[in-house]
Formats: sequence, structure tokens, C-alpha cells
Amino acid sequence: MDDAVPATQATVALRNVSKSFVDRKRGRETIALSDVTLEIGKSEFVCILGPSGCGKSTILNLVAGFEKPSSGAVLIDNRPITAPDRSRGMVFQQPLLFPWLNIIDNITFGPRMAGAPPQQYAPQAERYVQLMGLTGFEKHYPYELSGGMQQRVALARAWISEPELFLMDEPFGALDAQTRLMMQELLLRVWERSRTTVLFVTHDIDEALFLADRIFIMTARPGRIKENLVVDFERPRNYETIIFDERYITLKQRVLQVIRGETLLAMKLEVE
Amino acid sequence: MPRLYLRLVSVAAVLVVIGAWFIAAKLQLVDPLFLPGPIEVMTTAEQLIDEGYRQVSLWMHILVSVARALFAFFIAAITGIPIGLLMGRSPIFNAVLDPFVQFLRPLPKLALIPLVVVWFGIGEVSKFVLIYLSTFLTIVVSAASAVMSVPEGRIRAAQSLGVNRQQLFRHVILPSALPELFTGVRVGIGIGWTTLIAAEMIAASSGLGWMVINASSYLRTDVVMLGILLLGTIGYLLDLAIVTTQRLMVHWMGKG
Repeated sequence: MDDAVPATQATVALRNVSKSFVDRKRGRETIALSDVTLEIGKSEFVCILGPSGCGKSTILNLVAGFEKPSSGAVLIDNRPITAPDRSRGMVFQQPLLFPWLNIIDNITFGPRMAGAPPQQYAPQAERYVQLMGLTGFEKHYPYELSGGMQQRVALARAWISEPELFLMDEPFGALDAQTRLMMQELLLRVWERSRTTVLFVTHDIDEALFLADRIFIMTARPGRIKENLVVDFERPRNYETIIFDERYITLKQRVLQVIRGETLLAMKLEVE
Repeated sequence: MPRLYLRLVSVAAVLVVIGAWFIAAKLQLVDPLFLPGPIEVMTTAEQLIDEGYRQVSLWMHILVSVARALFAFFIAAITGIPIGLLMGRSPIFNAVLDPFVQFLRPLPKLALIPLVVVWFGIGEVSKFVLIYLSTFLTIVVSAASAVMSVPEGRIRAAQSLGVNRQQLFRHVILPSALPELFTGVRVGIGIGWTTLIAAEMIAASSGLGWMVINASSYLRTDVVMLGILLLGTIGYLLDLAIVTTQRLMVHWMGKG
């Protein structure tokens, strides 16, 4: 299978972005992001790593267009984002499939809403069904599938629209360890062909090291980018080889140091 | 527990109660005036089918009641579903209608009878208004809440797949709201059927509710019992019809 998955790739930039919410319970403002600046190049696979509540998901929601920054600019290909659209594919922690549609109708949802003719999207859908290992389940309904399979449907559903940018919010966080590893390998295999720009949020250090070209480590409230690590393992990557690579151990130690300090800080904030 | 087994337990429980009723009547444990036995009620049923009750055949009483309830129910569904959906989507529209809906919904509809009679007379219109109002309010409230409880994540997933506003409503919000909407319609038809008795208390000359009330003033407890049995059975069948439609249309409900 060397048929390349066609795609264009976007760049992402956040310039001095801050975001605050009014916390109704405490009746005060919570600063989710404070002065975040970052750049993501074409075809880059970037992971954002940080403790829970550090504003990782807020960055994704801003780039997706679900939320607007309180100050600063969020740019795709140097243009500000106004609303969510299909050039930015999103995969969430939950599969969020449409339970009234079968698998094939879930996958083709985007093209059908865009008014594409069936002869155009049907072969594409068939390809993603194969790529994601869903053959034979086309007519099944989401509730008949395991969590891992549902998440593969969600990947296929986002990928078929050939977005320029993928936003992934802990997409494998709810899966068991074995399934998670399989999904990471699957994601890399497909990604290595499409080279779509990816912004991937996780709190799993091994996941970030295995997938990313670059890792942004975030601080706890207010969310800031604390560290920008380059992960330069050759691609295609193999999990069994890279975890014994010396660079892997050095990088992981570095990440752990930074994260540990931040997690302690976050726990202190929770107690308050 | 296998479902068939539980069904059999239900059937057995019903048979035991009918048996107890039969024995109580047979041994005259209770004055037959208070509790006519199942045989007497069946005889009354045959008699009413042949001769009718107050010059109107039993089938006609059933038909009139079912027609009144179903007509009001359909109009309530046709008007209540869109208004409820709109309330769920538009905070302004919701803010305007909500106080009236929340005031009228828990109000016992019997309290409205005097006003309804003054406004609409004692004909079919006032009966319609009573059944319609109680069904409509139930459906509106549940349609609005069904729309408001569509998971935000699902809406975002659809938006990132490029839906516009109309598509979001038609292809995501509407099907998402369907299970709860059906539950509201189901409760609505139950309440509509209940209100029927109240509606037929307004000077009527036919209908099951009227038959029960009329028979009670002549101490015809056999007719009253028959009427109650019919009202209950028809109410159950209406509910069954909605549940079956729901199961066909919302096959994914309650799974995964």
C-alpha cells in the first residue's frame, strides 16, 4: 500500500494569546492561558504535554474556532480564525460518533454535508475503512463497536475530509494500554503518508515522545508554554526500537523533571 | 432473568388478581353493588354492544373518546414539537414563553374547566382545548429540554466536519433530541388520555369518560367498571403504539 493519502498542510501560530473564563462557582476569573506564543510549521506533528487543568484543551478549542482568545491572535496560514470549519479536523477523547448512523454513514458525514457526489466519497470511504481496519463493520452501528474501533471510525471520519490541520484532544486517553499503542502506531502509519499538520494534546509522556516532532510542555494555571523540546527520532518510527534509544531516555528524564515540578504546583493549586 | 420468564410472571400476576376478583364476587364477599364480578361486567359489555348505553353503542363511545384524544394529541404534537425545538435553540424565544409554560404545566387542568366553558361553551371545542392544552405543554417542555441536552461535544464534532446552521439542526440536533422527544410524546399522550375524563365531564352525551360519570349517578357500577377497564386498556394500547414507533425510529436508544 503506497498510495499516498493526499493532503495540504497548514501552519499554526499563536501570538501572545491569553484566555480567561469567569468561574461561576468561585465568582472570580480563572486564567486558562497566559501569553502563549507558539509556531507550528507545515507537516509538523506537535504534542502539547501538561498536567490536567493547564489549558491544553483550551489551545485546541481556540485553534478549532470553538472559542475566541481574550487577547492575542490565533492564526492559520497567517489568517485569523473566525469559526470552526472542515479544513481543521478534530478528534476528541470520546469518539462522539452519531449513534443513529452506521459506520460508513458516520465516516462519510463530512463529504455528504459538503454536497460531494457519492461516486467521489464512496471509494475514499472504502479506503479509510481498510486503512483503519474496519472492513466488515461498514453497516454496523457505533454501539456495536469497541471503544478502540469507535475511535478509529472517528479518525476516518475526520481524515476523509482531508483537513490541512488535525486537532487531537487526548484521542487515545480513554483506551486501554494495548489498544492505545495499536492506535498510536496506526495513526503514525497513516500520518506518515498524509503528513497533515497535527496538534496533539496529551498527558502521556511516552505517547508524546513516540508521536511528536516537537513537544510543548505547559505549566499549570495560568497555562504557559514552559519548554519546547525537539524529538528527532527518524521516521518511520518503531516503538520497540525507540524506547531503548539513549536519546529517548534523556528526553524522558528531561520531560519528567519539568512535569514533576508542574504537577506538584497544580496539586497545590487544586488544594487551594 | 430471561425476558420471557418475566413476561410470564406479569401474566400470572394479572390472572391472580382477576381470579381473586372472580372469587370475591362469586362468594359475595363484597356487596355486588360495590364490586360486580368479572362475569357480570362481561355480560354488561355484551349488552352494551347490542343495545348501547343511553342510545349510543359501546363502539361509538370508544370511537368518540379515542377520536377526541387522538385529534387533540396530533394537533398538540404538530404545534408543540416545533415550538419546543425553537425554545431549545433560541434563548430569547425561550425567555418569552417559559414563564407561561411553567405556570400552566403544573396547573391541574380541572381548574380551567369553568373558564374553558365560559370561553368556548359546552361543545367539542372546550373538550379539545382541555386535552390539547395538557398534551401540548408536556410536549413543548420535553422538546425544549431534549434540544438543550444535546451533548456539546457532538455539536462541536459536527461543526469541525463543516456543517452549517441548518445542517447542524437537521442532521445532528434533531436526531440527537429524538429519543427524549419520543419520551415526551409518550408522557403527553398519557396525560391527554387522562384529561379526557375531565373533558368529558363538561356536558357531553357520549364518550367513555362521560359513560363512566353518567353510570355512576345511576349506581351502575358494572358500567363504571367496564368503562374503567376500557379506559385503562386503550390507554395502555396508545402507549404501546408510541413505544413501538419509538423502538423502530430510535433503534440506538439506550445502547452504548
